[in-house]
Amino acid sequence: MRQFIEKNFNILDYALTSLWRRKFKNISVMVVFALVIFLLASFQMVTSALTKTAANSLTQAPDITVQKMSAGRQEAIPLAYLEKLKGIFGIRTVVPRIWGYYFDEKNLANYTVLGLETWEMPTGNELNLTLAEGRFPQKNETGLVVLGHAVHQALDLGDRKVLSFFRPDLELQSFKVAGIFSQNLEILTADLIVMNLEDARQIFTIPGDHVTDLCVYVGNPVEINTIGKKIAALLPGTRVLTRPQILKTYQMIFSWRSGFASVCLLSALAAFAILAWGKASGLAPEERREIAILKILGWETADVLVIRFWESFVVSLLAFILGCTLAYIHVVFFEATLFSPVLLGWSIIHPKLQLIPDIKFADLLLIFCYSVLPYMAATVIPAWRCAIVRADSAMHN
Amino acid sequence: MTTFKPTPFTIIIDISYTVRPLYILILLLGFLTAVDTLLFVQHNLAGNRLDGHQKIAEIAVAGLGLTDLCISTEARYTRHPSISDPVVPFMDHLGAIEHFPSGSFWVPVTPKTLFTQNN
Repeated sequence: MRQFIEKNFNILDYALTSLWRRKFKNISVMVVFALVIFLLASFQMVTSALTKTAANSLTQAPDITVQKMSAGRQEAIPLAYLEKLKGIFGIRTVVPRIWGYYFDEKNLANYTVLGLETWEMPTGNELNLTLAEGRFPQKNETGLVVLGHAVHQALDLGDRKVLSFFRPDLELQSFKVAGIFSQNLEILTADLIVMNLEDARQIFTIPGDHVTDLCVYVGNPVEINTIGKKIAALLPGTRVLTRPQILKTYQMIFSWRSGFASVCLLSALAAFAILAWGKASGLAPEERREIAILKILGWETADVLVIRFWESFVVSLLAFILGCTLAYIHVVFFEATLFSPVLLGWSIIHPKLQLIPDIKFADLLLIFCYSVLPYMAATVIPAWRCAIVRADSAMHN
Repeated sequence: MTTFKPTPFTIIIDISYTVRPLYILILLLGFLTAVDTLLFVQHNLAGNRLDGHQKIAEIAVAGLGLTDLCISTEARYTRHPSISDPVVPFMDHLGAIEHFPSGSFWVPVTPKTLFTQNN
């Protein structure tokens, strides 16, 4: 046993020396290889971090959201539907909501304006805990807003407490800042402007008998799907979204099928194809001669293959560890800087992304399998083809 | 020309000794393992810190009825992918192709057909 281990250590020594002899070629292969793995692992870590954040945070989303559809688009829903919904057994409460986007022409930023009676919501009386400063507007208090941290910064309010919005009829409507959301909640509230339902109605000029959508809460969470189907049957022309559907959306949304992921995957596959082609098309004459000399000296084909195996294993293992480590540092400490331009796009509001990847053994194994294994196969097979040729003919060629 | 004459107290060091390549590899792997161990510890600490914010995040989501993460605010289907209209070609007007950079990071949300009047 000891002899076997010592023999393999010696072979590994020889393989490492052989790698070092062609150090520029091997280091450049390793760097390119590590970059490909870095790209794949970074994408995997960003998407897993976002999926995990969504799965953890959105478990308290409304049980059912009801929207009215017209010509394939969402439009304001009549408040009369609220009365119809009360007839469905199992619905605990229905909260009307007005929300939409406000385009700030000065900053070219889009804010999400949300108007609702917060005291009717499940944890409405605890919402002050989510604020870094100030408080939430109470019942019958109008003209007050709570701003997301990024909105407060974008508006450059400083210590000022008053801000104004243009209504569609170009009249100015002023608000007083009642509170600012905590910076730790930027992934949820960065672009939010929360206000009273009636204030939101005036900003968007929505008629008094309409709202944007209805949040439905049911008594028994097991019945969400059943009640969703009942609502769809009762209110034709509506879109009924359940919380399980929302969570499922976020499980699927950052997947390999997205365009950017396809580009990463295709570039990685192209790099591997080129690498494999180069390797599979045959060894360099110098490498052939080396194998021939080893065989003349009495080495067996199996020993030659073991050397090639160790060489490719060392290169690919180092590239894998290096690529994955750099990917983690890139995602966690640099907030995925390389992907941010695509992930955030032309957004003016940039929430602070605190990405902590959900690293699973299966994900690492997947990256290992389609990066390291093909490389090893592409290296060992040509070596085997060369090693089975007679030594004298290899020397002659 | 003087010649070197070792005395009984002279220590001769053999500088021709070379380090075995295997040891260098083990040293390199050990260094990478140490770096990864530090990152693993940091990962756990950061995870615990985020778990501390989790309860507050749940209050915000439940209290405001939030349905989406605020990542990209440039297009409605990337700001609110779960409750906005699904992305389809020419969704805004005839000839309007999807052009937002963030649109390439998201998989187009499939039409929400689970609960409509048709099924």
